[in-house]
Amino acid sequence: MTFDLAKILKSKRESRQQLAARPIAEKLAMLDALRERALAIQQSSRPAMESGVLHEKPAPYRGGKVEG
Amino acid sequence: MNIREVIKTVNHMQADGVIEGYAIGGAVGATFYLEPAATLDVDIFVVFKPEPGSRIVTPQRIHDYLVTRGGRIEREYVVVAGWPVQFLPPVSPLVEEALSQAVEKDVAGVPARVFTAEHLAAIALQTGRAKDKARLLQFVEAGVLDPARFQAILSQHELIAAWQRFEQQFLQ
Repeated sequence: MTFDLAKILKSKRESRQQLAARPIAEKLAMLDALRERALAIQQSSRPAMESGVLHEKPAPYRGGKVEG
Repeated sequence: MNIREVIKTVNHMQADGVIEGYAIGGAVGATFYLEPAATLDVDIFVVFKPEPGSRIVTPQRIHDYLVTRGGRIEREYVVVAGWPVQFLPPVSPLVEEALSQAVEKDVAGVPARVFTAEHLAAIALQTGRAKDKARLLQFVEAGVLDPARFQAILSQHELIAAWQRFEQQFLQ
């Protein structure tokens, strides 16, 4: 346990690198688990929702120059 | 709920001739190169096949194929193996190039076609939402981008100025 911010950030970076280096099947299984949690949270906060599916606003994939 | 099952289904769909090709993009595509980050859907870019005898390209064949195999239509998504999947056409030259240069990865014995890290990063730059910028930063910090290849893509798709602004904002 440390309160040294530099050490904390270094440790976080290493954890992220270790996660990124895991086998892809394992990482995809983590996405499955993360989504199940998100659904469970949504269902507990909105029990009368119409659908069991969470949606994201689709990415505005587009062509041309980027202005902003 | 299983992304690997989604990939298997899309592979079957390609083998059955419903689509000509595909590649995984978005957050799921990024997960092939980075640490996993929560996402709510799967973006799959596809080369649509026109209806027989028609030049019109629609996702109807994909929807019909998946619905007869247990999929469910929800707004612009098809829910497959518990995941909302969005099938997207290549809407820009950059995405078209990303689709044509996608690479094959192995997901525990299941082949998956995925955008390259450089194309995912360039698309994130072009799309430009806050979460896309965060993802681009992850790509940079993870050191998974081939600098020469990334620069070539930025140059080809007139994204150099956008990249310079991003660098000034986040990397200096």
